[in-house]
Amino acid sequence: MLEAEATADMLLMTQPFTAPPVVTEPRPEEVLVTAVLNGERDRFARLYEMYAPMVHGILLARVPRGEVDDLVQDIFLHALRKLHTLRDAAAFGAWLGMIARNRAMDFYRSSRETVEVTEQMAVARSPNRTAKEILDLICRLPEAYRETLVLRFVEGMTGPEIAARTGLTPASVRVNLHRGTKLLREKIGAIA
Amino acid sequence: MKDMNDNYLWDRSGEPDPEIQKLEEILGTLRYQPRTLAIPPNLHLGRRRNLFPVMAIAAAIALLAVVLGLWLNFNRRQAPAFQATTTPPVVQPSQPATPTPSRDDRASIATLVKSPKQISVPKQREVARKLQARNSSSSTRTVIRQPELTPEELAEKEQVLVALRLVSAKLNLAQRRTQGVPQLNIIRNQHKIG
Repeated sequence: MLEAEATADMLLMTQPFTAPPVVTEPRPEEVLVTAVLNGERDRFARLYEMYAPMVHGILLARVPRGEVDDLVQDIFLHALRKLHTLRDAAAFGAWLGMIARNRAMDFYRSSRETVEVTEQMAVARSPNRTAKEILDLICRLPEAYRETLVLRFVEGMTGPEIAARTGLTPASVRVNLHRGTKLLREKIGAIA
Repeated sequence: MKDMNDNYLWDRSGEPDPEIQKLEEILGTLRYQPRTLAIPPNLHLGRRRNLFPVMAIAAAIALLAVVLGLWLNFNRRQAPAFQATTTPPVVQPSQPATPTPSRDDRASIATLVKSPKQISVPKQREVARKLQARNSSSSTRTVIRQPELTPEELAEKEQVLVALRLVSAKLNLAQRRTQGVPQLNIIRNQHKIG
């Protein structure tokens, strides 16, 4: 009887196990977004430096090359104007990527005259392919692979960097890279 | 199809893949060329809205409405159900001083006073029962109990009503006379009674 009471007392007095609080440092983009929202407009230039290659790559996979530079500027100005609508500062990259994709779609809605590059046109070119030709081949791949390949080969970002910037999971990026590269190799091999 | 070096493709670690290196080299010429972002000075930066005060006010109003509703409901239940129990009117069987109307008056009174409808007692009881049943179905309504009159009481009631009608007719007749309005429904060829 006494033992049971002692056990019960011990159980009641035992402090519940609590995991030590995980202190995570805020990511640089979080700090920058918060600073810009607090009135430090100049800090947005740093965000621009960090994310311009990503936006450039997303646009390059979707719109003609000549339009990309102007669109990058437009997208960042739009993002600055709408930054107060961003709920989670840590999701700045994913949010910016979505703006870029939407802007690319708007570009095609507004521009009626488009020239479709066909497979035959690509085959007719010389075997010494230029960057533009390979980019055209990439742009004909499924959308999921297109963006990842451009960010990897054109912008020179690594897989983990792509995942961190775009908000995709590293596993998704890895799969997209692997399958996309395989498809691209097949296309290049078939044409060569 | 060559075997790919996944590690190099993933994070440029491990043995480099010459094909991928070549792709990087060719496509690298299209890489983003840094440009300064020209932010127009008049660019309006939106401010993050603080919705807390609005939400707090809305929540307070909703809470107040709920409390008010509960309070009213509670009060309505606590109040005793009003039962209007009317005691049956006691009518003394008095001998009304029957007025002795003149001959002209009799005729006009006879036209004005109509014989009251004979209401049978069982029918009245049935009506009272129906009313009671309807009232008892809804708990919120006040229950008004209909007095049950005996035949004697009913006869007395009828007597009082006849007397009231008679008085009313006489007053009406007097008013017409004073105003000089010709009397209504005077039967000229009536015979004398008695």
